[in-house]
Amino acid sequence: MLKLESVSKSYGRRQALDRVDLELRPGELVGLFGENGAGKTTLMKCILGYLDHRGSITLDGAPVTRKNIGRLSFATSEHSFFPTLPAEAHREFYRLHFPHFREKRFERLMDFFELPRSRELRRFSTGQQNQFEVILALCQGADYILMDEPFAGNDIFNREDFYKVLLGILEPGETVLLSTHLLEEVENFISRAVLLRSGKIVGDMPMMELEESGRSLMDFVKEAYQYRPDRVSRALSDLAPEEE
Amino acid sequence: MKNALDAWTPPGIRAAAEIKWIAAGLSLSFLYSLKFVFRFLSHRSELLWMVENVPPPQMPEVSMPGFFALLDHGLAGFAAVAVCMAGLALYHWFYHYQGSKSIYLMRRLPQRWELLRRCAALPALGAAACLFTALLLLALYCAIYLLFTPDGYLPLQPWHYYF
Repeated sequence: MLKLESVSKSYGRRQALDRVDLELRPGELVGLFGENGAGKTTLMKCILGYLDHRGSITLDGAPVTRKNIGRLSFATSEHSFFPTLPAEAHREFYRLHFPHFREKRFERLMDFFELPRSRELRRFSTGQQNQFEVILALCQGADYILMDEPFAGNDIFNREDFYKVLLGILEPGETVLLSTHLLEEVENFISRAVLLRSGKIVGDMPMMELEESGRSLMDFVKEAYQYRPDRVSRALSDLAPEEE
Repeated sequence: MKNALDAWTPPGIRAAAEIKWIAAGLSLSFLYSLKFVFRFLSHRSELLWMVENVPPPQMPEVSMPGFFALLDHGLAGFAAVAVCMAGLALYHWFYHYQGSKSIYLMRRLPQRWELLRRCAALPALGAAACLFTALLLLALYCAIYLLFTPDGYLPLQPWHYYF
């Protein structure tokens, strides 16, 4: 289990994460939602040890160190591959550094998305780069796969395909933490929704429970965010020219 | 061979190409250092000419200039290449931010020293090669100075910087 206890992170005076408690259990597919600047990326970077933070982050009771960091993988919209290397060279690199690299899964996903193997990654389209980024994260052999807006720039059909493939290939022990703005799209694929707002977790709900209550993910998000439906109409009426 | 060397640079950077540049830098530095040899030979032939052509009573008090005066900044090229090695290490580091953030991958590798090794190994080797070559040449030039200066014409304090 990946456990975050009272994790806080600030950039100068700005509090990016404020005493976040979160548990990710094996086999969960967790959606992480929140507006821009809510702290989603910061949360993932803290888990991966890229950022110093307060509080504790443990993996099955042990702090995240070099010994167990291989159990975490990361796909980011910023991309973490080497742009001047082809896909095949990435496979070699991952095979060399991650002992549990999933060779077969890599082959199948590369074939499924029809990605060229010998072309440099910088020559890929943005959509292809995103796909490859996610393929690497899925094939590393990690137990916890963190994805930060991985499909930004992909078309809807492509994303849809990916969600289905994701559900099809994940093994029971694999956990995914998926940060995205695409609420409606992932609603049917995730098992739990976590909402961040201004660095705090303001909602954490299993999708089953949400369905039983007859609410959609969007309803849940709006509730957690205390969204006022009349906000736009009020603003518009305030902005409308005054009658003479 | 190519693959073995590439394991010592950031993925995507050809080690062979960088080694060629380092070798070129070392070669140029060596050529520049040869100015010691030319200056030494020039002073030596001047001395020999005087010994042969100036009658002893009229012979002024002459001697070979001090070693470091002849060497001057002859080994500066190696220092310059060594400084470039620090720049190369920085380039290797910032390479991981170009076109993507491959630094994320490198920082979460189970092998703790992989990133440092790939960024610093070749520059460190280049700097070591600079130091080694410079010391070797220093010893060689020193030997040339001591062995080939005509007898009796070494200055009183050969290691002082004076003409």
